[in-house]
Amino acid sequence: MTQVVVGQILNGIILGSLYGIIALGVTMTFGITGIVNFALGQFMMIGAYATWYFTDLAMLPFPVAVVLAVVLAAVAGLIADQALFRFTRNNLVNGLLVSIGLISVMESGALLLFTTTPKNMDIVIAGSWSLGAITLPRMKVVAFLLLVAVIGLTWLGLSRAWLGRATRAYAQNPEAAMLMGVPTKLLQTGVVVYSCALAGFGGALYASLFSLEPSLGGLFILKGVEAAILAGVGNLLGALAGGVILGVTESVGSLYLPSAFRDAYGLVFLVAILLFRPAGLFGSQK
Amino acid sequence: MKTLLFLIPLYLLPLAVQSDVVLTILIFTFVLGILAIGFNIVFGGAGQLTMFHAAAFGIGSYVTFLSMLRFAIPFWLGFLVAVVIVIIVSIVIGWICFKFRLKEFYFAVVTLAFAELCRLVVLNWTSVTNGTLGMLVLEKPTIWIPGGGVVRIEQTVPWYFLTLICLTGVLIFSVLLTRSWIGRNFSAIRLNEDLAQTLGINTFRYKLLAFTISNVIAAFAGALYGFYTGYIEPSYLAVAQSLDAIAMVLLGGVSTILGPVVGALVLTSLPHLIELPAEMRVAVYGMILILVILLMRRGIVGLAAGLLKGRVNAA
Repeated sequence: MTQVVVGQILNGIILGSLYGIIALGVTMTFGITGIVNFALGQFMMIGAYATWYFTDLAMLPFPVAVVLAVVLAAVAGLIADQALFRFTRNNLVNGLLVSIGLISVMESGALLLFTTTPKNMDIVIAGSWSLGAITLPRMKVVAFLLLVAVIGLTWLGLSRAWLGRATRAYAQNPEAAMLMGVPTKLLQTGVVVYSCALAGFGGALYASLFSLEPSLGGLFILKGVEAAILAGVGNLLGALAGGVILGVTESVGSLYLPSAFRDAYGLVFLVAILLFRPAGLFGSQK
Repeated sequence: MKTLLFLIPLYLLPLAVQSDVVLTILIFTFVLGILAIGFNIVFGGAGQLTMFHAAAFGIGSYVTFLSMLRFAIPFWLGFLVAVVIVIIVSIVIGWICFKFRLKEFYFAVVTLAFAELCRLVVLNWTSVTNGTLGMLVLEKPTIWIPGGGVVRIEQTVPWYFLTLICLTGVLIFSVLLTRSWIGRNFSAIRLNEDLAQTLGINTFRYKLLAFTISNVIAAFAGALYGFYTGYIEPSYLAVAQSLDAIAMVLLGGVSTILGPVVGALVLTSLPHLIELPAEMRVAVYGMILILVILLMRRGIVGLAAGLLKGRVNAA
């Protein structure tokens, strides 16, 4: 039994770190542009299909495919920002509706290109490590470490570099930041593009673990938003923690409680957090 | 009230148009229009972005049908049971959200979470709701017509008139509500909640009222929808259903009287007007939504009103 529980916790952690990377994008975009890009899941889908295409059809090595997938997702993000999100800054409802329109367009594009047949990528890193009675598939461990590294580097960049200070200054007081010479328009575009690139990176790792369908992105944006709120919007490392908490709650919860309600545990948790700790689990309470 | 005169041609339309397709599209427009009007009361009126209306819509159809089956009562009594349940649910959820002062994004996410919980309950309570498979609704609403006795609504034309009368009723209600002191209090909350509070408006009570009224109207639309299509399934409570209603209101024009109905008409008839494979149709729908949001901020009704005013000024 412990083996099953540990296995589920590990599954929860890897799934949760995927939620976390979307949550990081949600948190950053919301803080800087005042909107939530609900199509982030679809940028993840782009990253996933691109990775599958570059490794299995174009026969490129996996790391090259991941880099290309991230670039592709970032370019798509740049186009979406310049054509659409530029006009919905600080307007949550319009941003929501524009990204919903974008979801329909991107999903039907993927359906036309790749059909509904699930695609399975060739195994990248085979085998598993065993720790006593527990087996850890290597690819899952590697994917988890990569996600943690990227989230950690983002946090480090934002807390140490000039760009990070500018970003936080903007989040605190946009007008003052503008007067201090922060290029605000560039910053907003940069954040949208970066969050799309992050989603693309998440998608690339998703492709190496699970099978691909055009609708894969839909689930992740809801979980990402939940994880971001759980941690407290604006908290970068918290986004990872929020995602992992959500993933583990779901995976372990479905062992003991009816698994049909898998998606409900996170929601109940979320409502409770918002009611009793409105600034999030790790936010400072005023 | 003068705007409602636009409805008169609709009452005469079945004399000229016998096409089942056109009438069916209009029936869907009327029913979804009612749902959109409900959303417009809480969002366009009191400024609260709720995502719960699809859940109210679904609860309306499920409870009406189930109570008809269980207690062997007619449609309208079954709907009354649904209204009672929706009022209780709305007060509980609204009380939680407004007591903890959830606003904008957070209010939207928490109402969305509650709506998803409702959907999961409907989906998994198989013994009562038949789960994913949904239920066939063979019963039909009955109405009493002077001279004709009790009539079952089955054919397209009776359904057309029933839904049109319901839409007219809901529209009149929404106009009266908007013009009353209650509606003015809603507007005050939408425009500046802190100021409204300072002026002595009990914002908690009025937000709760707007939320409840809008959910009851959504439940009404749900009951009509389920009995018209003859089929009830858990997807009635899905996020997509909420988003459709939001898109209708924004397309037609927020805070306008006819906006929700115009939006419902455009979005229901659009898929029938464009001859395209299913995937492309969804993509075109998405693109139209994007263009409308970016280029027509005030919606179709707002744009038309602006043009009319311009012409009057020029003359």
